Amino acid sequence: MKEYTDLALDIARGAGASFADMRIVDERQNRVYVQRRSLKLIDETESFGYCVRVLLNGAWGFASNTKLTKEEVAKTAQLAVATAKASAGVPKDEPARMAPEDAYIDTCVGPCEEDPFAVPNSEKAELMLTACDTMLNVPNIVMSWGFLQFIRMHRIIANSDGSYLDLTNYFANPMLQAIAVVGNESQDRSYQGGAKQAGYEFIREVDLVGNARKWAEEAVIKCKAEDCPVGTMDLVLDPMHLSLTMHESVGHPTELDRILGWEANMAGRSFIKPEMVGELQYGSEIVNFTANNVLEGGLGSWFYDDDGVRMFSFPMVKNGKLVNLGCTRETAPVIGWEKSTACCRSDGFEHFPINRIPNLYMEPGEDDSVTPDDLIAGVDKGIYIEGMGSFSIDQMRNNFQFGGDMFWMIEGGKKTKPLKKVTYQAQTTQFWNSCDGIAGRPYWQTHGVMNCGKGEPMQVMRMTHGASFTRFRNISVGGAKL
Amino acid sequence: MRTKEEIKTLLDSILSKVSAPEATVSFNYGSSLATRFGENAITQNMSGEEESIRLEVAYGTKHGSSITNKLDEESISKLIAHAEDIAQNSPEDPEYMPPLPPQEYPDIPQRFYEDVVALTPEDIAEQIRKVVDAARTGNFKASGLFEASYGINALANSEGLFAFDKFSGLDYSTTIHGPKGSGFASENGESVAQVDVDRMIRKAMTTATAAQNPKDIEPGDYTVIFEPQATLDILEFFAWNMSARDADEGTTVFAGKVGEKLYHDKVTITTEIDDPELPAPPFGEDGLPVRRTVWAKDGVIERLRHNRFWAKQKNTEPDPLLYPIFMSGEDKSIDDLIAGCEKGLLVKRLWYIRYVDRKELLLTGMTRDGFFLIENGKIVTPVKNLRFNESPIVFLKNVVAMSRPERVGGWAKVPAIMSENFTFSSKTESV
Repeated sequence: MKEYTDLALDIARGAGASFADMRIVDERQNRVYVQRRSLKLIDETESFGYCVRVLLNGAWGFASNTKLTKEEVAKTAQLAVATAKASAGVPKDEPARMAPEDAYIDTCVGPCEEDPFAVPNSEKAELMLTACDTMLNVPNIVMSWGFLQFIRMHRIIANSDGSYLDLTNYFANPMLQAIAVVGNESQDRSYQGGAKQAGYEFIREVDLVGNARKWAEEAVIKCKAEDCPVGTMDLVLDPMHLSLTMHESVGHPTELDRILGWEANMAGRSFIKPEMVGELQYGSEIVNFTANNVLEGGLGSWFYDDDGVRMFSFPMVKNGKLVNLGCTRETAPVIGWEKSTACCRSDGFEHFPINRIPNLYMEPGEDDSVTPDDLIAGVDKGIYIEGMGSFSIDQMRNNFQFGGDMFWMIEGGKKTKPLKKVTYQAQTTQFWNSCDGIAGRPYWQTHGVMNCGKGEPMQVMRMTHGASFTRFRNISVGGAKL
Repeated sequence: MRTKEEIKTLLDSILSKVSAPEATVSFNYGSSLATRFGENAITQNMSGEEESIRLEVAYGTKHGSSITNKLDEESISKLIAHAEDIAQNSPEDPEYMPPLPPQEYPDIPQRFYEDVVALTPEDIAEQIRKVVDAARTGNFKASGLFEASYGINALANSEGLFAFDKFSGLDYSTTIHGPKGSGFASENGESVAQVDVDRMIRKAMTTATAAQNPKDIEPGDYTVIFEPQATLDILEFFAWNMSARDADEGTTVFAGKVGEKLYHDKVTITTEIDDPELPAPPFGEDGLPVRRTVWAKDGVIERLRHNRFWAKQKNTEPDPLLYPIFMSGEDKSIDDLIAGCEKGLLVKRLWYIRYVDRKELLLTGMTRDGFFLIENGKIVTPVKNLRFNESPIVFLKNVVAMSRPERVGGWAKVPAIMSENFTFSSKTESV
């Protein structure tokens, strides 16, 4: 491939580019999708393409193609140069520049013990049909659905710094949901473990068939449960639930491109200003968030980001204080930083890489002996929430409202009865500052998100979050009109 | 870009190499120029094109598919082998539907224009320059996406069906913001003549200027006027719940409601196929020809969407597509609605709408990019954004008045709607 990347980079350099790269993406995907007792989709996809990105006179050009010949590569590089020249017609106040970075020559392959593409499709279909059938055999379950998705992503990134990276990652993404109807009520309950950078071994680990009946029964329990109470009360949230809360209220607001206003038209901006780094008390002193794009099995652990920056781990919030941001080689220098935090990724060869949420997790509590039950025992009146449900946050990432997948009333320090249709509403920093208890490391779990939408045209990105069970005080619950 | 004849030859050639008794092959081609801008400068400028082939084959009710964007002979042979191997080893699918016989397709208004193909990155940058210059006059910042695209969808099957659609599109949008408020506008169309960048600039600038320094407002139940963009934002969720099968199984708000009056008399919702301002593609699911469909008439739910399998079970015709979706209106302007509102809130755009209760279609979301208090028929002040918790069913039931429908985005033509007792539940400092 190097003859092609050299050709593209030579054309960009010849045109006067201060930076250029060529990214070749070869992706294989396998999907099995079942609804009820019907195999709706079983397929394999092969996708190949490449893009050339050119920074010329402080303005960007980008072109992509699927045909790999010297003639087509040259045409694509020339088109990238032409679009950069067009971009210069509406220039930035300060020409874009890339934070300096070392050149790397590297080959990396991500974790995959059991090649998912070698597992017979019939086995995958049988697994999902059995799981859905198990759910449908529970009285009051009218619908079950689920899928398995496997991706092998192979990237070659060559850039004008001299880097040449050959990177392969595997992703395994299962899903299963039961929908129950009791009278006029309908509720659902889903697998909540998310995806992982792994092979088929992850599917065996999550045991969809073994858990299907329990999840289906809980969907029925939800139908018969009381509605969400209304008032100010405490919350104990499980790690799966918190993955979404932190994604929306910590991950997105700390993306520097949003902070700079570059996403204002669609995904929105952020309440954070660059000068708040090192100052803003994001959460209580026990709240620590780590960005870790070298997390084993993390969906964002891509070895190098699409800027060619070697990924690493860094604190985002330390003892409650905001101490860093997710940034790219382009966004970092805009606020005077000289080093990217390796958060630049694209979801395919046809898309320009943008500032994305890294693997981001909340550290467990300091005391490993603290259990989820200990947290619940400290609540006089509150709600324990498992899993992800409804989620919505304003475009500056302040006001949010979340639901969940399973809810239990806490009274007198004990879980007393199931609930349904629970929502809570808070402002971001108020919420994280109300955190007063975190269970220990033995209870820490991760959740891989495969569907983070951002950018225009929309890009769908992957990252992993993690947390232990956590308690929050005095949160507004039940604001939704039921 | 390949011609219709070349594509038919390609698809026929693939079908001729398939040994499975049944096969459907589709071809997709897309080309786009997409230029993003933020903080008054172009931030990304993208250009690209891609062709892909999807093949589904079946042996009895055992089926399997394969997709590739490599169209050389070797890759196509691999594609066929993959699909056949998957299908042969698949379990029987009790809901499998065989390929359709050849269909007659209706004449639809033109969906492809050469003037979109002819656009260059320089042409698009020039239009963006106009937006940025206007924003600068107000000391505002503009961001947005200007995208020009065109493509082809074609489908052929082992029964001899061949369907073809060639289309182009422009999707331009901008958000213009100042320190204490913002305005959004978009223009969409199939041809250059259909979009008016100056109109878009005027709209976004007017809103951004008026939106500065919003006042506090308490959440509660209000009369609202949703501009067409906000109507579209909430209609999207509504449309996702129109599956006849889901309703028949009791999992959606429309369970047992066909024939019942759920909305105000003024509400009629249809799929139209021959509006030159928003033409439908000629075919939908599996190559079914499109047809006009009435989903709700004078407030009564007339029909829900049946896919081919469920239509067969219910002995009815399948519904090829839902989009483009149209909602009736009245011969009024948005200004007329404002003039007729004693006290209410004008909503320009909604954001991050999600289910709170899927079965009841209770939604939550935020207002965004222009939110104003109306008193005695006049806009009196911008107000700070609020979170809503409300059902679009209730919103359409409580309709007071509507404007003339207008195209918003690529798939809907809807009016501004004034509706009573819309519930806002919490506030934010975000503007």
